[in-house]
Amino acid sequence: MMSCYLLDTLERLHSHLARVYQIVQPLEDVGQSAPPLVSPKGYFFAEQENLFVFDGECFRETLPQPPPFVLFGVQSCDLTAIAYQDQFFARDPYYQARRQQALLVGIDCVTPCEHGFCASVDAGPGVKAGCADLILHARPEGGWMLMVCSDKGGEAIRGMELDQMDDTELRARDRRIDDCIAAFPDDSHLHRGIAAISQGRVPDQQWQQLGIQCLGCSGCTTLCPTCSCYGTRDLSEDQGDIRRQRFWDSCLYESFQREASQHNPSEEAGERVRRFWTHKFGDNFAKTFGRYGCVGCGRCEQTCPGVIGVHSVMRRIADYAPDDDV
Amino acid sequence: MPRTMMSESAELLSLTPSVAELLDFVDDGEATRRYRFRLRDPNAMATPLPGQFFMLSVPGAGEAPFTFTTVPDREGIFCGLVRRVGSVTSALFECRAGDLVGVRGPFGRGWPMEQLAGQRVLIVAGGCGLAPLACLIDQLIAQRPYRELALVYGARQRSLQMLDDSRQRWAQQVPLFDTLDTATEAELGGALLGTPLELMDDILLRLGWVPDKVLLCGPEVMMNTLACFFVERGHSPRSIWLSIERRMHCAVGLCGHCYLTQHDLSHHYVCRDGPTYRWDSLQPVHVALPE
Amino acid sequence: MVSQTTTTICPFCGVGCGLNLHTEDDRLISVTPQLDHPVSRGQLCSKGWSSAYGVDLRGRILHPLIRTPRGFRQASWDEALTTIGEALQQVLNEDGPMAVGIISSARATNEDNYAAQKLARAVLKTNNIDHCARICHSPTVAGLKQTLGSGAMTNSAADIFETDLIVVFGADPTENHAILGGHIMRAHLAGTKLIVVDPRRTRLAKLADMHLQLKPGSNIALINALIKTILDNHWQDSEYIEARCEGLVPLAAAVANAYDGVERTTGIDLETIREMARAYSKASRAMIFYGMGITQYVSGTNNVIALSNLALVCGQIGRPGTGINPLRGQNNVQGACDMGCLPNVYPGYQAVADLAARDKFSHAWKTALPEQPGLTSLGMSKAALDGSFRALILFGEDPVITDPDQNQERLALSKLDLLVVAELTMTDTARMADVVLPAASFAEKSGTFTNCERRVQHVRQALPPPGEARGDWQWLAAIARQLGSDQLDWSDSEAVFREMAALTPSYSAMSYPHIDEHCGLQWPCSAETPDGTAVLHSNSFPIGRARLIPVHPTEIDESADAEYPLLLTTNRLHFHYGCGSMTRKSPLLEREIPPGLLFINPADARDLGILHRAPVGVRSRRGYLETCAMVSEDLPPGLVSMPYHFREAPSNQLTNNAQDPVTKMPELKACAVAVEPLPPGRVPRSMDQLNAEQGGIER
Repeated sequence: MMSCYLLDTLERLHSHLARVYQIVQPLEDVGQSAPPLVSPKGYFFAEQENLFVFDGECFRETLPQPPPFVLFGVQSCDLTAIAYQDQFFARDPYYQARRQQALLVGIDCVTPCEHGFCASVDAGPGVKAGCADLILHARPEGGWMLMVCSDKGGEAIRGMELDQMDDTELRARDRRIDDCIAAFPDDSHLHRGIAAISQGRVPDQQWQQLGIQCLGCSGCTTLCPTCSCYGTRDLSEDQGDIRRQRFWDSCLYESFQREASQHNPSEEAGERVRRFWTHKFGDNFAKTFGRYGCVGCGRCEQTCPGVIGVHSVMRRIADYAPDDDV
Repeated sequence: MPRTMMSESAELLSLTPSVAELLDFVDDGEATRRYRFRLRDPNAMATPLPGQFFMLSVPGAGEAPFTFTTVPDREGIFCGLVRRVGSVTSALFECRAGDLVGVRGPFGRGWPMEQLAGQRVLIVAGGCGLAPLACLIDQLIAQRPYRELALVYGARQRSLQMLDDSRQRWAQQVPLFDTLDTATEAELGGALLGTPLELMDDILLRLGWVPDKVLLCGPEVMMNTLACFFVERGHSPRSIWLSIERRMHCAVGLCGHCYLTQHDLSHHYVCRDGPTYRWDSLQPVHVALPE
Repeated sequence: MVSQTTTTICPFCGVGCGLNLHTEDDRLISVTPQLDHPVSRGQLCSKGWSSAYGVDLRGRILHPLIRTPRGFRQASWDEALTTIGEALQQVLNEDGPMAVGIISSARATNEDNYAAQKLARAVLKTNNIDHCARICHSPTVAGLKQTLGSGAMTNSAADIFETDLIVVFGADPTENHAILGGHIMRAHLAGTKLIVVDPRRTRLAKLADMHLQLKPGSNIALINALIKTILDNHWQDSEYIEARCEGLVPLAAAVANAYDGVERTTGIDLETIREMARAYSKASRAMIFYGMGITQYVSGTNNVIALSNLALVCGQIGRPGTGINPLRGQNNVQGACDMGCLPNVYPGYQAVADLAARDKFSHAWKTALPEQPGLTSLGMSKAALDGSFRALILFGEDPVITDPDQNQERLALSKLDLLVVAELTMTDTARMADVVLPAASFAEKSGTFTNCERRVQHVRQALPPPGEARGDWQWLAAIARQLGSDQLDWSDSEAVFREMAALTPSYSAMSYPHIDEHCGLQWPCSAETPDGTAVLHSNSFPIGRARLIPVHPTEIDESADAEYPLLLTTNRLHFHYGCGSMTRKSPLLEREIPPGLLFINPADARDLGILHRAPVGVRSRRGYLETCAMVSEDLPPGLVSMPYHFREAPSNQLTNNAQDPVTKMPELKACAVAVEPLPPGRVPRSMDQLNAEQGGIER
């Protein structure tokens, strides 16, 4: 059972944490309903990261050394994505070097956002205890509930004099989250679409049609909080050293799988679009990670110039779902 | 249900290569060379199995996967066959003896050596696909665990054939059929004219035995059509193995480039789950397979 | 860990998307779209997403460079400016102002462009000022100026969602103006009818309700047949014509025989023509978008006039969701034109030939201004070849790659006494310069860009210029000072803008704060329309009544024949921009270069024995190059296509420089070529290799 405290102002928590942590606040306004345009994945899986340096004699690993930092006010969709990435990058030394330094302070959403559907994919709107160190919840009557859900979180607020709150408050929180879930618009296209994808019922022809609309802009994969593909390149430094850099890549680029011989297993745009959505909603991926890769943030819907973001695609393929699976 | 936030105690990977020295190279067919490298630290790498691969870094140009044609010996010396096709291989071709490169590995799953004991084994390679099989063939011929072994090597034309000396050596021990897609009478020599698929019935007739296990490595179209050929003739999909090539940047299942395109298998990364696959494991799960 | 965010405008195409630049310790770490931007609405194309790579310090020119017999050497600004000043002065003394000129940049800000034309006119005393609009939309300016009185997009991007029919004519917006192309897809999916007229099966053509795959160069034949159909069936908007147009009778007479041979000329059957005519004329709101498929012909200006006739006859100009809308290639090609970086007009299209306009600028700048009309960019090249044009200042363009008939262009530049090039990186043109100046990128300066819907937007500095790089108007001012003039001595970009706005009627009510307040302002923005204008010509045309001007089909200059049996057209790819000097710095976009660059129909490929991705040689009467073939159904038989971005295989080795008589626009969209397979396995030789082997022109 997590302990729960009454916090009068966010500033108080802010200044307490700032003694140990650098504060990073991805949201303009903690408490806004829309997630930030950019997901916080870059704080752990950096957009460009140096892997090692070759000085002419040997290869030297260049691990990042960030100071301890707190991501202050992260919504449930993004926290679910971080938990997903924690599994995917469990053995990645660069990711872990950043991740170990981070304290996650979640914020419950209590109103649906424009494109979001976290509730439909078990990723919100309330922050799940296993996904954050501390959780904030705005009380309608003023002030904040502060929930502690890890030792690290407990350690972080040690020394703050806070009043403990009882179960009634926690139940009220649950009610407000339930109300929020009920307020989301109809999501049957999502459930039907997921069934169609995970059962492989969407015909190639449909994927090809959607593929025509994919401009390969990389917007979806850049903003998707669980996309993790990367490319590498070698860069020459002024002093003659060579550094290997990895950078965010996108599986929707035509050249993503193209080999030096020019052979390309996924030459057709439709193939690549299918793979992207299978990665987000395929049962085999869900078996590996304990959940779907999509956390319902809706960013792809907003940013896709080709009108094949998540809602658009799901509406187009929903009819391929088996009839009994509504 | 809450999950653990971090997988604790998981051993971290390294994406940083070990230093190796380019010892020398010999030309081996058109735009193809056999390179010898020596690891600076002979213990830097676990002993690879035939069919596993390593990542070779040419500093400044990048990194790409290659197969061992011989695995590192006690001094850390090993060989790889390289055809010049892209930027990394072009940069390697500019390197000279003594230059330093980076090596990571071994990666992936190798050929199923243990399943070949007492079996009639047919190995079919196409083009560059002979390289990932060379080490296996050498080991098989040295250890002779099989009941029968025969090799088929297809190339588009005479100038694109590779590993001439190895093939000559093998041909003295086991039946070996070279095939050429196109060739003049003079170029043909002892080779057969046609693709391995076109010639397979003829080859099987000449062999006089039916293989229990078939190992394939070459262009994907060649492997797929040959696998179907054998399945159609009643061979179990579980008796056919192939090795798949993909673009790779990490070799440890992170960068995402080497996924399989089949819908049911797109969570497979060839670097980690392959590159060798049994044919049935590449089939859509909802299709019933003949035993 | 903590980054700063600067809101600015994408430096690539004319759509003008909103960008956020995220910087950390004076380093650009990432780029994101602006969620609330009026045009891009939280979206970017692959170029926009990759723009951080484009201004990366790798490969950037950081110091002035001066040519020596052994190559370039680093120099101080003082030395570079002295060299430039002396050389300019010498040419001016010997041959007068017609021997010097400036080619400014549609990539640079309005402030930079204003400064460039002022340097030319007020300091160098020449009207020899031009920029690359010459090779994209000069026929638009010339054509629409005659018919409507204003050569810009009549409507706005937002109108895409307020129309019933969209006609995309000779344009490939999903590749070249991706965000607008996306808007068109979105509108079409929501029910707006879409007609695409293009020889190539473009992405939009694959989705459209109708695709008219016309033969290259047959635009006027098709449009005249459409107009004839409309008039024959009385589908025109007679009330609109009566009230707002003139010249219907001669137009009707001119199109009377438009059906003769039209099916053969265009490759489109009459039934389809009839269907399109009906759809366009009957739509209550129909919007035309067009691009280089209209302008890059010897008949470019007439093509634009023909489209204008079509729109006017149907009354499809002057209301939301209608109009005739050129898609402009560069981020600021509209602005560079507006700023008067053209040999015949001052800022705001005030004619040099008009005495009152000349007096106005002469008075404002307190100096006498040249009367003699200036040379176009191709005119300057031609004059350089005969020795009468000797000194050129050029920035932000790479004409060696992007202009037609590359070999002539190289030769012309090599004849100059002085070539000054200001650039971010060493382009092929910069390599030919006598003095190279380090320029600041869009992320390193402030100013304004004007997008294709006439929206003037604020570009903000996110980073200091690297090394000794300077913004364009700043180094232009330094050259002016070197020549003893303080004409360009402004305190900051805002001061440049204030001076310009005071002299440019359509910008007269604009200021930086006003622009910021409105997320950009669309011109005309004057006392009458202080918040800008979304739809032009709602009540009247600048010339009073719009003119219907008869135009007749002109054949393309060079048709396919026995020796050169295929027609080559050019196209652009979503992933690359211009000469690729910025986009190719992205490892992702660089990788996206297709394995083959010559797109060819499977039937032609079969006839020629060319396999997918196989090496080929391509020859025209002007040049030869080698590349690989991409066999594609998107091209009709008889037509091949090449993107022009790549220096290894530059399509402008082959293209024709036959020109539109009005604007000197070269016919980049059609020339005859012969394609031959190279031996299998052969690696195509790059242009550099071919030049080296054949002793090409090197300086």
